[in-house]
Order: sequence, then structure tokens, then C-alpha cells
Amino acid sequence: MAVLRAHHLVKSYGRGRAARRILDGAALEVARGELVAIVGRSGSGKSTLLHLLGGLDWPEAGWVEVAGERLVARDADHIRARRVGFVFQAFHLVGELTGLENVLLAARVPGAAPSTAERGTDLVERLGLGPVAGALPHELSGGEQQRFAIARALAGDPDVVLADEPTGNLDAASGALVLDLLRGAADAGRAVLVVTHEHEATGRADRVLELRDGRLPG
Amino acid sequence: MTRRTWLAALGVAAAALVVGMCVTVAYALSTGFERAARQADLPDVLVRFDPARRAEVDARLRTLPGLEARSYRDEVTDVGLRAGGHATDRGAVHVVQGGRRGYAVVAGHDLRASRADVLVEPGLARAWGLRPGSTLDVGTLGPLRVAGEALEPDNVAYPVASAARVYVGRDDVARVFGSGEQAVSLAQLWLHPGASTDVALTQARAQSFGVRGLSFITRSGVRTLVGQAAGIVVALLVAFSLVALGAAAVMLGTAAHADVQRRLPALGVRRALGFSRRALAVAAARRAGGLAVPAALAGLALGWALARGPTDALLATLNEAPPGTAIVGPLGIGLVAVVALVVVCSTWPAWTATAAAPAALLRGGELRGRRGPRRPRAAAAERRLPPSVAVLGARMVAARRARYAGVVAVLGACAAVVLLMLALASLLERLRDDPATLGKRYSLTVSADASAVPDVEAVPGVRAAAARWQLHAVDSFALGEDLRLVAFAGNHVPFEAPPLAAGRRLASDGEAEVGVGLADTLGLAPGGTLGVQLVDGREVRFRVAGVVRALDNEGRIAYVRPARLGAAVDFNPNIAVKLEPGADRAAVARALDERGFPPRRTAGATGQNGALLGVLGDVLRVVAGGVALVVLYALVQALALTAAERRPTLALLRSLGAPARTLAVVLAGAGAALVVPAAALAIALEELLLAPVVAGLAADYADLPLTAGVDQVALVAAGLSALALLAAAWVARRVRREPIAPALKEAA
Repeated sequence: MAVLRAHHLVKSYGRGRAARRILDGAALEVARGELVAIVGRSGSGKSTLLHLLGGLDWPEAGWVEVAGERLVARDADHIRARRVGFVFQAFHLVGELTGLENVLLAARVPGAAPSTAERGTDLVERLGLGPVAGALPHELSGGEQQRFAIARALAGDPDVVLADEPTGNLDAASGALVLDLLRGAADAGRAVLVVTHEHEATGRADRVLELRDGRLPG
Repeated sequence: MTRRTWLAALGVAAAALVVGMCVTVAYALSTGFERAARQADLPDVLVRFDPARRAEVDARLRTLPGLEARSYRDEVTDVGLRAGGHATDRGAVHVVQGGRRGYAVVAGHDLRASRADVLVEPGLARAWGLRPGSTLDVGTLGPLRVAGEALEPDNVAYPVASAARVYVGRDDVARVFGSGEQAVSLAQLWLHPGASTDVALTQARAQSFGVRGLSFITRSGVRTLVGQAAGIVVALLVAFSLVALGAAAVMLGTAAHADVQRRLPALGVRRALGFSRRALAVAAARRAGGLAVPAALAGLALGWALARGPTDALLATLNEAPPGTAIVGPLGIGLVAVVALVVVCSTWPAWTATAAAPAALLRGGELRGRRGPRRPRAAAAERRLPPSVAVLGARMVAARRARYAGVVAVLGACAAVVLLMLALASLLERLRDDPATLGKRYSLTVSADASAVPDVEAVPGVRAAAARWQLHAVDSFALGEDLRLVAFAGNHVPFEAPPLAAGRRLASDGEAEVGVGLADTLGLAPGGTLGVQLVDGREVRFRVAGVVRALDNEGRIAYVRPARLGAAVDFNPNIAVKLEPGADRAAVARALDERGFPPRRTAGATGQNGALLGVLGDVLRVVAGGVALVVLYALVQALALTAAERRPTLALLRSLGAPARTLAVVLAGAGAALVVPAAALAIALEELLLAPVVAGLAADYADLPLTAGVDQVALVAAGLSALALLAAAWVARRVRREPIAPALKEAA
């Protein structure tokens, strides 16, 4: 059963003659345990689609459901806190917090699951980050930073993980490690959606969808 | 205009507002007397004496050295005045004898011969609603038509001054009392420019043999007496203007620096295209000037509008003239100063920042290159929650250390000034209402002879009573200096004892304690001699035992014992009454009244300059309110800059599901990180620097306890906290309205 559903998403940027429709009826369903890769040329709307799916932005038409809950502005914070984990290309670790504190930051958000802190700590150990858990982000390698970011995304035990170019800033070895982690997250029963333009990522996906002319085929 | 531009303009306007207020108040007060004196043609010397034939007095005065002109009046006091529903028996009627007037007609017209009319002082006109054409009953002269208002700045205005002054022509007096030669009791002397007042005074004293009740007061003496209380406030406001300007410079400088850092890549592109550093700096200056001129104009205009009302009220109380259009000059200087400050604060960072190679600027310059402090790596992950989001906010705002220190310094300085203003306003109120501030330790007085002391002490609730005499005298060596003598039968310390500044308490009939104001005027010190001429013409001398910090009568006071005052103490005897601790003053007053001793409540400065002190307090509070606006702006600016620089972090929190209140808590934490050290700094600054400095300004004649009280500290701390919360809520609301996704695309 699909845990992430999107129907007829429409999104435009610009106004008047400069207006450009990025998504034009995109639809998607991702089931638990499934890793789906979204590919497309630069500017095709991949990141925009991901933002709509995670409630970071709002479509002009269409709707998104996460674990059966319709994403509306009023409940978006709550749904993101309980159901969705994000992984970004730029990692977005808070510079003043250590790696572990960045992971546990998810537990500080109102509405986070009570087990978030415990799960986050376990994840740091399981991902081999224990020795550098007390380091500040600028003291970590890119791969270490992204693994902390993945631990943060998974700490709240989300139903859906949305990753935007998660290996874009990493070398090949670190990128492979990160993709293995995302694959593992899917195998653990989560719906994982990865926006990428790298073949290594598509190789680990169950399905690869190409965003073209604002739509996803099939 | 973008929001950022609006914020910068608001900052300039807030700084200009404070400058405008301070310039308005300080300029109006510091020049008010001279303006009014010029307008009124106030004489160089005023001579008061017991009524005498004009020809007799004129024969002595007309030969004074340097005399340019003279005129005479007869001053009749305690005349009944009545108009509408108002009445007083403390009217002071000046019978004008011709010649130079010494007053300015500020409404209506001057006295005209053969017209039964009267001029009234503006304070009386305001208090009683009189205007030209109204009718005023003047004692036995009967009803007179009010011709106009006469401003004469030789005293404060009615009702601050207890006597209400009116002016009539000698024809009106002659109409009632006959046309014989009229007596005069006041001479006005104008000296040639450059003539020595001291020489004229010395000569006048030498020639005054036979003229009784003589007292002199010079124009500068009038200015000192009338402006003494306002003098501290002017000095304070000038000092505060400089503090405000400095605070504004720091705020504008940090904002300009942040703005330049934000635009470094754009500046790098221009440098790469061949623009010189000079061209970029000039462009920054133009941009800053274009923003600063309208914003500073608006701020100065608003500051002037806010301060004008209380200032004009204060000037009216002092019988001084408002500056009118003359204020444009000082405000223009303020405009130039604020605009120059903004331009320099914007141009200098652009100049220094563009010193780097264009390639470095294109990479974002120091923004990207800066690294946080290194910490030792933890050996293993410890399971613990990260600090609360409020602490995260505090760390975020403190990350920019130089700016953080600057904002804390600005907030601390502003809060210290507010604390000082509140302490001063509170002191002024206490001066007005609390006799203890003047060193009076008794609560009631009764008009009775010293023989009634045992009867008064027998009243329940009375702890002690003592005979007290208060009389006016003049210094024997400088007849223009009048003073107040206070005498107690026995030890005066339990009843009235301002703190000792030097020497010791008096211990014998031949000793005196003198106020600092009197000691300063006459050059007295412990061991010196105070010679006074009493109202009956006798001279009495006292050895100065100590100098006390007395505020009453501007410190021109001397405490003595009554033995040497002789018959002078037979007039106006009083008994000072101290109450038992916890006794009900009203009940004791009733009991005294029932026994035939109608009591009067011991007041602070009420009746002398209480209203003036009240207005001064209002002026200080208005300025303190203006400073609060600056504090709010500084907080909003600091939090908005932090939020702008940390957009990705705030967006990340939102992507994790943080609701609006979490963002507000983050920013409130940042605000707390600013206001907590600022409050501590403010208390330290006020306690260790501002209060001693301002008290030092006034130390010549008074001991001003200006240390802020717990309630004032609590008020300022609560105010800072409330402003921080307000700023955090406002900035959080703005952040919440911004889309998340674009912020996440920015580099962290």
C-alpha cells in the first residue's frame, strides 16, 4: 500500500510572460519498503516536487498524502515532525551543535516521537559515527556530515524519507555509503524517494521515474 | 524599498528621533533664559528696598559707574486678586513708574496712560484663563481690564511662584490714592555694555546708607536661581545625546557591516568588471545618504514634536521663552551629524571589505572563511539531548562576536541611561513630595510659641517637638546674596539634618552649619565666618562649623541656634513635630487641631518649585520612552540580522516540523542572550559611572542619591525582557512567512 501519494501536482514560477509551469499534473505513489529515484534534466522540477511532497512548499493544484494524512498547511508541521525525514545535498547541520546534538535536534521539535532521542543515539552508533559524535560540523568530512544528516532524518522513525541530491557534495566512496544507508532505510519499511542525477543512485532504486515536462510517466 | 531597507531607515529614524528630542530639550532649556531676558530687556541689576521716595533713591543711584539707564517700580505684595472663580491674597502688584520696562508684552498691548488696565504675568493668565479684555479685581484698585501679558524672567511663573504678579500704571494708583509723590521699592539698573557689575554693586552698597531692607540681585544671579534645577537636566540631556549618537553609530555600523558582507559577491562582480574601490565606496555613500536624509528628517521631526510639548511647559513654568524657529539651526546640525554618521558607517565597511581580491569577494569573503572554535572530539557518543532551542538561539546570536558585543554595549548603554533617567525622575518626585529628602525628619508643624512645646509633646502619637524659626537674611559681606536662616531651640539634628559634606555639626550658639549652595556662593568653609544682616538691620556673625548638603532653598541655607538672633525670632514661631513610629499622621493632626494647634503637613519642595520638579520628571520620562524605542530597534535589528544570516538553520528547524512558537523560542533565546548581559552592564554603568558623574555635576549645591532602586532595576529588566520578546515575536512572524525551500538552497 502506498504511504506517499501525490495527485495532479501543479506548480509554476514567475509571473506574466515570465511565468513557467514546472510541474504540470505530476502524480506519484510510493509504497513502504520502496526506494524510488526521480531523475530529470537540470531545472526540470525534481527538487520542487520533493518540496511539495514534504510540505515545504504548496502546489497550485493537486494534493499530497503521507501515511493517509492529507498535507495541508495547518497540519504540515506536525506531519513533518512525525512522518517525514529530509536529507539535503548541503547537509544543513547546525554549526553550533555537535554531530550528535544535530541528530538529537529532531527530538527538541514539539510533536516529535518520545523515542526520537534514543533512536537518534543508536543510529549514530550504528552508522559508525560514535568516535566523532562530539565534533562540530566543520570538523567532519562531507561523508560524516551526510551520515549525521541521515541519522537526523531517521531519528524520528519517519514513514517517508525524502533525499535531495544526497550524494551531490560527496566523493564516490562516501556517496556509495550514503546510498547504502538510504537503501537500508527502505528495506526497513520506509518509503524512500531520492532526487538524483547520478547513475549510482538509480542503480539501487526499485523504480526510476523521469520528470519530463512537469509530469512523471506511469 | 525592500524590508531590509525599511529596517535600516527605521534605525536611522529611531536614532534621529532621540537626537531630535535631546536637541530640542537641551537647546530650549539652555537658551530659554537668555532668550526671554533679551526679549524682556531684563535689567543687569535689580535692587529691592523698603519703600522710599523716588527722588531720594534716584539721587544715590544715578551716579553709579557704568549706568546706562534706570527705572523704578513700587512692588506691593500680599494684594488680593480676583477673577472669575479664582482668587489669591498673594498678589504682587508692580506699579510701573515709566522708563524702560524690563518686561516683554507677549499678548495684548502694554499699559496705556489714562486707561484703567493691568498687565498680568503669563503664568497667572494660564492658570486663571485670563486674556486681553478680561477683568481682574486688584485689591483696592478695583476691577481693571487686562491689557495683555507681561513676561519677566526674574522669577519662576505663578503658581510655581507663590505670588501672582501684575503690573499697573502709576495713573491707576494716583486715581485711587491721589497724585502725590509715590514711593518706590524696586529699582532696575541697566549698565553700559562692558561695564563691571561688581563695581556698580560695590558703589551702590557704599551709597545706600539710609536705604533700608536693601537687596541686590544680578541678571546672572537670576539665571542661576531660576535655572539651577533645569541645569542638571540640560547637562544630562546633552550627555545623553552623545550617548545616543554613539549607540546609533554602533547600531548603524553593525548593520552596515552586515549589509556589506551580504553584498560581497555582488561587490566582487563589480570589482571584476573594473569598478574601483573608490567608485564602490562612493556608491555606498550615495546609497546611505539617500536613505539617511529622509529617515533622519522624519526622526528629527518626530523627536521635536514629542519633546516640544513638555519642553514648552517647562519653559513656561520657568517664565522663559520657547525657541520658535531658532530650533531649526540645532536640528539642522543634528541632521548633518546623523546623516554623516550613517554615510561613514556605510562607506567605511564597503571600503575595507573591497580591499580583498575580487575572487575572494566572489566567494563571499569572510562569511565563508570563518570557522567556529574547535572542540575536542568526544571519544564516544553520549546519549543526551542537545541544548534547548532557546540556547541554540543564544549561540546563534553570539556567533558573530564583534556584533554581539556591540549590540550588548548599545543596549547596556541605553538601559543605563533609562535607569538614570528613572532614578532622577524618582528623585525629583521625592524632592517634591518627601520632606525626608530635604533632610526634614519631622512630619508636622504648628504655628505656636516655643512655650507650647510641652503641650504639643503631650499629644498622643507625638514623639518629640521643638521650636523652629525660619527667617530670611542677607549676607553682610555680599548684600546681594540672600539666604535662609533656620534655628532650632536645642539640637536640630533629630529634627532637620541634611548630610554633612565637611566639618562637623554646630555645637554652640556662635556656630552655624551652612548649605553647600551658600558655602559655594560665599566661599565659606569650616572655620570661616558667616555674617548675616537680619531684617531688623542688625548684623550677626557665626563661625562655620560644617557644610551640609542641603537641597532646600537651593542650598542657600544656614542652621543656627536662636540665641544670637534676638528679637528677630519673635516673628513667626513654629514648632516642629516628630511622630512616634507607626503613628497615624492624620490622627495626630486632628488631635493637635482639637487642642488649638492647627498643624501643617511638612512638605518637600511643594509650594516652592514642586511643579517645576514635576515637569522636569515628565521631560525625563519622555526621553526615557524615546530611548526604549531605540532599544526595541536595536533588538529587532540584531534578531533580524541573525535570522537573515541563519535562514538555512531556521528553515531546517521548520523542515523538522518546528512550529511557529519554536521559532519564537529560538529568537527569544537570542534576545535573552542580548538583554541579560545588557541589563547587567546597565546596572554596572549606572552605578559606577553615570550616577557618580551626574551627581558630581550637581555636587556644587546638592547631594543627589542617584543610584537606581530595586524597583527601577526591576522595571528596566522587565522592560528589556518585554522588548526582547516583542522583537522575537515580530522577527519570528516574518521568518514564518518566508518560504522554506529557497532558504534550504542557501549555504548553511
